[in-house]
Amino acid sequence: MAAIACAGVVPLVTSAYILQLATDILTFAALAYSWNVISGCTGYLSFGQVSFFGIGAYATSALVLRAGLPWYVAAVIGSAIGGASAAVLGTIMLRLRGIMFALGMLGLARILMVVSSNWDFIGGAAGLILPARLTPVAVYFAMWVTVLVAFALNYFVLHSQWGLSVTGVRDDEVAAAAVGVPTSWVKIIAFILSALAPAAVGGLVAWNRSFLDPPSAFDPTLDLQVIVFALFGGIGTLWGPALGTVILVIVGEQFWAYLPDLQLALYGVLVIAVVLAFPGGIVGIANKFGWLRRKPVAAPATFPIVTRPAQPAAAGNDAVIEVRGLTVRFGGLVALNSVSLAVKRGEMVSIIGANGAGKTTLFNAITGFVKPSEGGVYYQGKLVSAIPSHQRARQGIARTFQIPRLMESMTVWENTLLAARNGKRATAAVDQAAWALHTVKLDSLWLELPNKLSPGQQRRLEMARALALDPTVVLLDEVMAGMTRDEQGEIRAVLRHFRDLGVAAVAGVEHIISAIADISDRMIVLDRGKKIAEGAPDAVLRDPIVIESYLGKVS
Amino acid sequence: MIVLQLVVNGVLLGGTYILLAQGLNLVFGVMGIVNLAHGSIITVAGLFTYWFVTHTDQSPLWLIPCVFVAMLAVGAVLQRLLLEPLAKLGTRRELLSLMVTFGLSYVIVETALNFFGSQYVSLPNLQETWSVGGLAINEALVAAGVLGALISGCLHVWLHYTPSGKALLATSQNATGAVTCGIDVRRMRGISFAIGSALAGIAGVLLILILPLSAPTADTLTILSFVIVALGGLGDYKGAVYAGLLLGLVQSGVGYYLGGDVEVVVPYLLLITFMVLRPQGLGQAAR
Amino acid sequence: MSASASPSAETDALRVENLVAGFGDLTILHDVSLTVPIGKVTVLLGANGAGKTTLLRAITGLVTPRAGRVTLFGKEIAGQAPHLIARAGIGHVPSGRELFPRMPVSAHLDLGGRLCPPDQRAALRQRVLGLFPEIAERLGQAAGTLSGGEQQMVAIARALMTNPRLLLLDEPSAGLAPKVVLSVFQTLAKLQDQGMSVLLAEQSMTFGLSVANRAHIIREGRIVLSGTPAELTAERSVAQAYLGA
Repeated sequence: MAAIACAGVVPLVTSAYILQLATDILTFAALAYSWNVISGCTGYLSFGQVSFFGIGAYATSALVLRAGLPWYVAAVIGSAIGGASAAVLGTIMLRLRGIMFALGMLGLARILMVVSSNWDFIGGAAGLILPARLTPVAVYFAMWVTVLVAFALNYFVLHSQWGLSVTGVRDDEVAAAAVGVPTSWVKIIAFILSALAPAAVGGLVAWNRSFLDPPSAFDPTLDLQVIVFALFGGIGTLWGPALGTVILVIVGEQFWAYLPDLQLALYGVLVIAVVLAFPGGIVGIANKFGWLRRKPVAAPATFPIVTRPAQPAAAGNDAVIEVRGLTVRFGGLVALNSVSLAVKRGEMVSIIGANGAGKTTLFNAITGFVKPSEGGVYYQGKLVSAIPSHQRARQGIARTFQIPRLMESMTVWENTLLAARNGKRATAAVDQAAWALHTVKLDSLWLELPNKLSPGQQRRLEMARALALDPTVVLLDEVMAGMTRDEQGEIRAVLRHFRDLGVAAVAGVEHIISAIADISDRMIVLDRGKKIAEGAPDAVLRDPIVIESYLGKVS
Repeated sequence: MIVLQLVVNGVLLGGTYILLAQGLNLVFGVMGIVNLAHGSIITVAGLFTYWFVTHTDQSPLWLIPCVFVAMLAVGAVLQRLLLEPLAKLGTRRELLSLMVTFGLSYVIVETALNFFGSQYVSLPNLQETWSVGGLAINEALVAAGVLGALISGCLHVWLHYTPSGKALLATSQNATGAVTCGIDVRRMRGISFAIGSALAGIAGVLLILILPLSAPTADTLTILSFVIVALGGLGDYKGAVYAGLLLGLVQSGVGYYLGGDVEVVVPYLLLITFMVLRPQGLGQAAR
Repeated sequence: MSASASPSAETDALRVENLVAGFGDLTILHDVSLTVPIGKVTVLLGANGAGKTTLLRAITGLVTPRAGRVTLFGKEIAGQAPHLIARAGIGHVPSGRELFPRMPVSAHLDLGGRLCPPDQRAALRQRVLGLFPEIAERLGQAAGTLSGGEQQMVAIARALMTNPRLLLLDEPSAGLAPKVVLSVFQTLAKLQDQGMSVLLAEQSMTFGLSVANRAHIIREGRIVLSGTPAELTAERSVAQAYLGA
């Protein structure tokens, strides 16, 4: 409150110069926070967020000039138009990843500049003269509102349960989809959130300048400045954009008077220097002293008491998962060749085969990460081949990965909570996550980051994530690989627990057959994409075909 | 006839484009980063060529070896100071190296603006036009296209048939594997950036013969180069040859039929459409 | 020459003493010591994450050791750049094979052969291809298109072409059908017959002990058990408790 009171005093007591400086800081802070949402929090580095600045500037101007709306209404509608255009453009742009997205956004700003230069309705190349209707004080307060909105959006993305999906997308999009995160939607929503404030700022800046033309609306150097500020403060953090903007705008103001032509070159130098010297920015440095650290999302003070009642094992003889004539080709390579199999409710099936035998491809096809070339995948009797991965996860097909894919910047707790959300209310998700972690006995490590866990604990965390989805079947890729005997025992305990819960398990195994054979109801052998044997473990392991093609003549 | 003329022009333009892209490609292959300052090196080399030729009245072609050597040195120093420190950062390296080269591009472009101004310039040399069977063949276009293709050819021979080139190629495909063969990967990173910068420098010398350049063109050239590399498949040197020719043909056709305004945004449009439709590129990568 | 080279005749190809290594805050290897006798196969048994790969990488310099000594035929190599250690005579077959996917098999041999004196290259190539007749037929094929077993052989062949004095193999059995593993291990036995010193990292006790003269078991970054294959087989239950396989 005190800060807001101070902010209100600025225009009353100070000079026009200070007011302009304060407005500049607010302008850039709003832009930096918005850039931070898509590039810092979601991991999609954008060099073209100025696109939304320009769209907002033109939309607001057109609304005031052509429709005669009051400026504040126009700014709000302009912001909404920015968000709407992000929704549309996002469906295309967000299919690009990494560098492709970064450069694609740079290109988008260029394309918009050419389009606006050739569109006479909005002034074409000559630009629009805007009657100056806004007082500097009005702009100042409007910018305050915009900054607070941008900050609130940042806070929402970094500290809400929904925001976990955004962090999940940044850390590992595939793993996020595997725990039920609708990654495409999450990205588009983040993109929209990152477009609202720039569009509003664009409208306000245009009115403040009383002039708008394509080069000033889609000025690529604006992104450079915004990136410098966010980077300097700390990318992906709540306080970084504000700290970076305030410090650099004030320091810069002292400098540029002497070096007017070199401002952008020096910003370039600054980007390089910050990346090389302290890539975490100011917040990164502060974190080393224990300041400004992020708190885990929705984590109670102590590990929650697990209240979930034990569920009776669901009985039944119906097939949970059925695969018919499944063939997967990658170019000329046939990874899976007409494989059929069925898994019953609560059944434990192990699939053995060397690397390249097709185990992972089979799991990927069942969970929707690769498209079958022929054949179909049925879940509880229904064809699911056309359903996206995250929906299959939400319906109860959970999986783990050959090499554990955990969200590296999220705690054990948050990793599990992300999977536990799955459309639940917040409190129910917390209960579910606590139950899943308790089931795999990771309660005591709940606030650690995944890279502090042993390989066995990482596997169990993946299993907790799978359990948190309330699955009917869990596909475990190489579940025993590289585990010590103790760790194997712990994993076997979890697998037995699956059976008590009525959860079917399909485990892929390469070498360590003995650790899985005795708890398997059935064993299937894959060899170069083909199913060569199926049956009770003892019978399969004695099968001459299996010995000949897979095991070899081990004495 | 017009079509044939456009095809000839497109192929010649494509020859220069191949060279434009290979430097970026080499850096990506070995270092795993996209050098966003690539276009600014090309542009500055072009503007310097203009300045040199208009002040000394020498042929721009003399500059090719000089620029090559100078940019080798500049590239090696930049790599050592700015990019090598990031090499150990693991997963964050891609993002941070993009930031660094993004910053570097501004440093170069803004400095160039102060030296050369922002107006578009092009060289008046080699403006003879030969008439061959009804086709008008522009001397500068031939010089730039043929030299571009030739230098790219030299790069290919070096990469595939010499021990040092093979070592670089091996590093680009698997750095750990290269180390086990006693290859100094750190040195290879330096060499790749040095040669990448040198190739960009030469590309600038050739480009100013056929296109007007100014400091702000840098971004467009980076994107153009990147589109070629991405279309060909990142790190795929043969793919980039086809993609370069394709883009030359497209640009020459679009420039004629749709005009210069659209021609400028063609690389961006292609980047977005092709990347959305075929993210794996035109080339057939192994596996 | 031989008299002045070392006062006591060198019996160990490799000696690792009190090695400590890790990444960032994480220490993976705690005070590891072991030796690899000349002309023998020594096996390092351990589960995934036990520290096998890190130990091999610390020996070859791909991971910089924080403390401890690594001596190759009496010469200290710890802390040197990895390419220099490769040149000093360690052939490393890394985990995951790390081939050049779009380069032909022959180029792999050439690149390894950079470290072999030029006058011996042709003879060495003959010998290496003699060990791996399967890949001799596929010299022109891109490595990325080979089967897993063939890729493993190319990786070993590439390491052998560096004319190493010590060969380090990181889990050559990973991802291969047991049948193919057997043929890879038969090649190892042949190499030992030719007098090569080998340090083999392996998960499977059965595979590992079948070729080794001496075995060390690593767990959580520490050597917890050492002995001859016979001794370890006698204590099989103990050993398996550490390994899980």
